[in-house]
Amino acid sequence: MNLKNISIALTVLVFGVIAMLFMQKGNYVNQAREHYEATTSKSFKGNSMVLELVNNGIEMNKSTWAIACGALQTVRTSQDMARLEAKFFPATKGNMSLANKTRRFEASSANVIVANFAKVEEDKKTGVKSLADLQSVDVSVLLGNYAAAAAASDEGSDEGDEE
Amino acid sequence: MDKKKMKILVVADVVILVALIVILMTLKGGYEEQAKRTANEQESAYLEKNTQVLVEQWRSVDQYSMAWKLVYTVLSGAKSEAAFKSALAAIESDKDARFKQISHLYTGAGINDAVQNGIFQKAGLAEGTILLKNEKGSKEVACGKNCVVKFSYAKGKLKNVDYSALVQYNLANSLKIEKPAEYHFE
Repeated sequence: MNLKNISIALTVLVFGVIAMLFMQKGNYVNQAREHYEATTSKSFKGNSMVLELVNNGIEMNKSTWAIACGALQTVRTSQDMARLEAKFFPATKGNMSLANKTRRFEASSANVIVANFAKVEEDKKTGVKSLADLQSVDVSVLLGNYAAAAAASDEGSDEGDEE
Repeated sequence: MDKKKMKILVVADVVILVALIVILMTLKGGYEEQAKRTANEQESAYLEKNTQVLVEQWRSVDQYSMAWKLVYTVLSGAKSEAAFKSALAAIESDKDARFKQISHLYTGAGINDAVQNGIFQKAGLAEGTILLKNEKGSKEVACGKNCVVKFSYAKGKLKNVDYSALVQYNLANSLKIEKPAEYHFE
């Protein structure tokens, strides 16, 4: 009777060990899968975010460059400049300084250009003052030269009412 | 079942049990090593492929930035073909300025210095020249992935700069990070 019990117990144990044999592979595969999924999904999320942020950054950057280069080709007065700004950024308006004869356009803190004009003109009928004869467009900020840009942009901003 | 058969069964069970435990211990190490190795291989392959997209983006932004600087310099400076040539050479050779311009765009986009440096370590700057075509009267410059700026000259003087590709530049169409594939135990 005792021998019978032992043999039953041993047989059960044998089947138990066979089951363990099959299960252990599954355990290691699951552990490896968890590690793989954690690592790759972290990389996917992080890198996708970088890709997207830079692509968004380019969107604003290219429009600011387009204003600067378009200004060099077509702009004569600050009104022309305002129209060009509005074409790319309808919701953002440049800041005009009659004292410094500049118009500063800031799409964001990283995307700033400053148009320099030669003279201030006054409309005789309306009395509205504006800037004329575009001389240059300062793109120091777009090039990453913050120091040069800061030195060039200490103008007061007496906003001209021209649009 | 008689006693003799019972004894045989017990002995057979013990033998099988010992054999199974030996197999269990042997396979254990093998499975563990194999699972770790295949997971590491597949992770490395994915991370490498994934990072390569950011490397390509960085180099494209370098070309994009140089192209804008060139268009700006050509439009604001002298309008001769010789001026184009010297402006291009000056822009391409000033590697510090190139890095600064790329880094500025990345910082403005919200990418911190550590991430930027990580990409820069792998990407460096775009290799070679951005000048794709250099014929008398006609120049073409690469401005990133699938982007070309065209400069035309007549009698040595600048006639037109077509930088519409730069204004419409959109990397989202050409660069994508693929989702990781399922892990497979080999």
